[in-house]
Amino acid sequence: MIHARDIFTRSIKLTPTLLMALLVIPVVGGLIGVLLPAFGYIPALDKTTFTLRGFYSLFNTAGFANMLLLSAISSLVSTLLAFIITVLILACYFNSPWLYRIQRLLGPILVIPHAAAAIAISFLITPSGMISRLFSPWLSQWDSPPDWMFPHDSWGISMVLGLTLKELPFLLLMALGALAQADLGAKLRAQHKVALSLGYCPMTAFFKVVLPNLYPFLRLPILAVLAYASASVEIPLILGPNAPPTLAVAIMHWFNDVDLTLRIQASAGAIMQLLLTMGLLLSWWLLEKLTKKFSHGSLINGRREYAGQLIQRFTQVLTFILLSIIMLSLAGLILWSFAGYWRFPDALPSQFVLLHWQHALQQMQTPLLNTVVIGFVATLVAVILTLFTLEAEQLRTRNLSNFASLLIYLPMLIPSIAFLFGLVWLQEQVGSHHAYFNVIFGHLLFVLPYVFLSLASSYRRLDPRFSHLAASLGATPSKVFLRVKLPQLLAPILIAFALGLAVSFSQYLPTLLSGGGRINTITTEAVALAGGASRRVSAVYALMQMLLPAIAFFLAWFIPKLVFAKQTASPHKLQHPTLKQQSKA
Amino acid sequence: MHSSLNIKNLTIWREKTQLISLNERIKGGEVLSIMGPSGSGKSTLLNWLTGMLPHGFSAQGTLLLNEQNITQLASHQRHVGLLYQDPLLFPHLNVADNIAFAMPKGNKKQRIEKINDSLTQLGLEGMAARHPHSLSGGQQARVALLRVLLSEPKAILLDEPFSKLDATLRKDTRELVFEQIRQRQLPAVMVTHDDSDAHAAGGKVITLSAHIQETTC
Amino acid sequence: MTTSNYLLLQPKRIKHYALVFIAMLSFIFSSNSAAKNWQTVLDNGQNHSVYFHAWGGDPQINAYIQWLAQQVKQQYNIDLHHIKLTDTSEAVSRVLAEKSAGNHSEGKVDLIWINGANFAAMAKHGLLTPNWATKLPNFSLTNPTKNPAMSLDFGVPTQGMESPWGQAALTFYYDSVAITSPPKTLTQLLTWSTQHKGRFTYPKPPDFIGVSFLKYALISLTPASLQAKLYQPVTKQNSALLLPKLWQFLDTLHPNLWRAGQHFVSSSTALRRLMGDTELSLAMTFSAPEVPAAVTRFDLPTSIRSYAMSDGSLSNIHFVAIPYNAAHTDSAKLVANFMLSVNAQAKKQRPTTWGDNTVLDLSILAADQVTQFQLSNPHPSSLAPNHNSPALAEPHPSWVKVIEQQWLERYGAQ
Repeated sequence: MIHARDIFTRSIKLTPTLLMALLVIPVVGGLIGVLLPAFGYIPALDKTTFTLRGFYSLFNTAGFANMLLLSAISSLVSTLLAFIITVLILACYFNSPWLYRIQRLLGPILVIPHAAAAIAISFLITPSGMISRLFSPWLSQWDSPPDWMFPHDSWGISMVLGLTLKELPFLLLMALGALAQADLGAKLRAQHKVALSLGYCPMTAFFKVVLPNLYPFLRLPILAVLAYASASVEIPLILGPNAPPTLAVAIMHWFNDVDLTLRIQASAGAIMQLLLTMGLLLSWWLLEKLTKKFSHGSLINGRREYAGQLIQRFTQVLTFILLSIIMLSLAGLILWSFAGYWRFPDALPSQFVLLHWQHALQQMQTPLLNTVVIGFVATLVAVILTLFTLEAEQLRTRNLSNFASLLIYLPMLIPSIAFLFGLVWLQEQVGSHHAYFNVIFGHLLFVLPYVFLSLASSYRRLDPRFSHLAASLGATPSKVFLRVKLPQLLAPILIAFALGLAVSFSQYLPTLLSGGGRINTITTEAVALAGGASRRVSAVYALMQMLLPAIAFFLAWFIPKLVFAKQTASPHKLQHPTLKQQSKA
Repeated sequence: MHSSLNIKNLTIWREKTQLISLNERIKGGEVLSIMGPSGSGKSTLLNWLTGMLPHGFSAQGTLLLNEQNITQLASHQRHVGLLYQDPLLFPHLNVADNIAFAMPKGNKKQRIEKINDSLTQLGLEGMAARHPHSLSGGQQARVALLRVLLSEPKAILLDEPFSKLDATLRKDTRELVFEQIRQRQLPAVMVTHDDSDAHAAGGKVITLSAHIQETTC
Repeated sequence: MTTSNYLLLQPKRIKHYALVFIAMLSFIFSSNSAAKNWQTVLDNGQNHSVYFHAWGGDPQINAYIQWLAQQVKQQYNIDLHHIKLTDTSEAVSRVLAEKSAGNHSEGKVDLIWINGANFAAMAKHGLLTPNWATKLPNFSLTNPTKNPAMSLDFGVPTQGMESPWGQAALTFYYDSVAITSPPKTLTQLLTWSTQHKGRFTYPKPPDFIGVSFLKYALISLTPASLQAKLYQPVTKQNSALLLPKLWQFLDTLHPNLWRAGQHFVSSSTALRRLMGDTELSLAMTFSAPEVPAAVTRFDLPTSIRSYAMSDGSLSNIHFVAIPYNAAHTDSAKLVANFMLSVNAQAKKQRPTTWGDNTVLDLSILAADQVTQFQLSNPHPSSLAPNHNSPALAEPHPSWVKVIEQQWLERYGAQ
């Protein structure tokens, strides 16, 4: 193939390299930035010899083994639960219109920041929370809140609940996304039909035929979920135990401790966290291999029915409970944000006031502006880089190598706490003192993988004949890109943009660390207030956190409607090429 | 007892439009061919026969399989095998496992023997451990046929089963399928575009007339 | 004195007058130079940004800081940015990180709200600008010669590294619907807790209130003859002598606490939330006026009442400090000086605003200034002004580290 040599083409071809560098250098640099202090090298504290002291003191920390165990078990259990529930829902509603209703109900949770979700759940399960109020005193006989352990229970059950509820919609949407791929979805549905015609009950048919072929598309999302859960900070901070906390939370505290020598221990902890996460990813992989090995026999044993009815009933109940938890959490949050006095066990506040919203809205102007500006810039850069990279793929007529694809997902798989502290140090080293820039850069690391994930499949599915046709009519590569490809991709680009915004809105640790704490966003405020004195103000901030991505997604849904309404109103009816492709299948 | 598939007084509507009206009895070893342009309701009929009539369609009539009323049974309980134009072999299983998947539960050793015997019978010797994607189109079609047959169905539905095969392969495969149907005395319904298919089937041919455009789902 | 006396000046006398004159001159000159120095601060400090790193867990305090920002914007055209910390130590590590990166003049932290262990740590590592606080014009309003506490942070001399902002005493408050008579001493607290299981807790160290409660308990449990040891740097012997009593006390108290002492809240603000939820019936705060303020904002029930322990209230002062590498030192000084103004201090003390006690000495203020601090109708939930509770001074900060460490070893990981 002969390539054009204009500036557009040349710069497009450089983008993949730039994109890789943007992701790899900060992550690797950040890791080095914690590796040195982990072995005792901090010139600022006049410590310039390499020792293992950090690791010794880490291992001697009271409750260190418990921290590791808590991190490992809570993340593994929550990922497993989220995966199992995802599969159950898929299996139960595979051929039912309910699948898409559930998707629509759970979908919005995907974009709720972790902190807001955790706050909502803590409001639900706390002793004076919605659940306990609904059953008191008529059933429970409680006149004052019970002294039960949720949230912050030492087993991490609340935390697992929070993580599971948050990760479940992600996995479900990833699965449905795979099923929505025209060729794959149709094939899997047809194979499901074949299994039914061979006498398999629908549930068994799903497990024996669809799941083994769907799983490869879920593997990366699952690993991302697992990596995230093992090192996340917000949910354990708001829902987890603190005696001891998870390793990631402990590391964050050590980094921020008054005693500056604790930074050595914290860096050693960050290395441990990295090893822990890698270990967990490895054990998931092993688990997968073992399951595959040991389930093969039962795949082909010819058994058509395994208590399908029972599982179906169970899944329906489970789905109902999950949806109720979500609805009740949300209702509680809204009630609190308008509540006047609200003494336990009243199910409703004794009066409703606007005071909390008024106060909060006055105070949140700067954080709100920061949130929107940072999100917008980071996402814009991410979308442009992604589009250019995907365009470069098409110009080169080959997809990114597997290795390159893996690199793009690097920030999703490496625990952010392990490299962010090092990244801050790195930013100091290169003299990058502009907090705003640093935060946007920090966000970009996390926004980019999601934007890429969201855009890649639509871009690669684009019918190449349109651009060939345009080129044959004399359009330059840049014109083809801007006038032919991008308009066709309006809807997916907007969705990717909204997703990028949502990811940026939810970032806590990168904002806190890269900004040196100087940049406040709604999320950093919400986390700071979550442990604070006022449930009512905390509720307002959590709701605000949910509102922002919701607005972004609403726009992403609404704008294409507007545009298409215009197009259909015009005399020349344009058929949307991507739609045409889907209906072809 | 003779096996039979009996479609009694069937009428299918889409919304308010009548699509199909049919009253047929197919005896074991017979093939009923359904022809007609696309949109005439061929696949709708198949969907009704398998119990997968999509939303928006309604049907009246009775389906008797070996004199047993299966109209209200879920598709997986009907024992009606399906053969599509795509072989739709399960990619996560090898040839033998694809067939084993379809067979009823039973002694592991006997199942393996049966699989190997029938593979040999259809000229697929030594293919047991191969993966479906490594087979030729004709081989895949034969494995798919074996898969349906060894699931021991009481009737069989053929949805344009040979349309993706080239001419010579088509003839061979067709003969093989019809021969197996006759051997096992299965009542069969075949939907096809192709006159030669209908002719080769040797049974009754019904041609449906075109209606307004059919929505595929 | 007659005119002849003037004429009869003796050499000795002349020498005396000359000395007085020189002294006066030098005084005028020095105050002149102080004024001149301040003028430089004024000139340099205006029109910049100040990044004020302050704990941001309380909406009321945040709103007050926002008011401060408006004021300094009007007066000095300073953009005061409140960086809301969940823990003050975050700012400490930030300054350290800057030092480690060799950033000695362009620091991102201009002003920190600080005291106690955080201050001690920063002072020890030379992370603060010295000798500025006492030179603030408004510092004299604290009457420092009569109130030496203004230059002591937990007994450590501040050496002009921090300027006082407010003061606080450990005050208790309870839910009068749940309990009729609250415990008035530490021993009563223990017996009360056995009767009201799960209705009291304290935050986990290193939270400020948590450590303060432990210090209050330690002082109350230490016999008067040994208390002097608490005000000296801690030694192995002294801690081995005094701390076992504290652990003994906690061992019996903990099973009666909220969540049976298995879980402690991480931050003192959570106490107020738990009081609002009526999960707790008794809690404490370092800022007594925040209680009525929270009641009026619906965050606490109307049945809340405040009181001071009769066996003493732990008291301390909180400060603002400027890191050694702050980018806008002079602007930060202007802000700190404004914080000490009568206007700002009076506003801060109002329960509807924040309710933090002033550090100004009302006895040296003009009458109309004093009225700004007076309250017309105190809220029923506020602390009675005539409470009879002796002030307990903070132990030497070195004790904090030991208490924290041993607490964490004993109760931190279960």
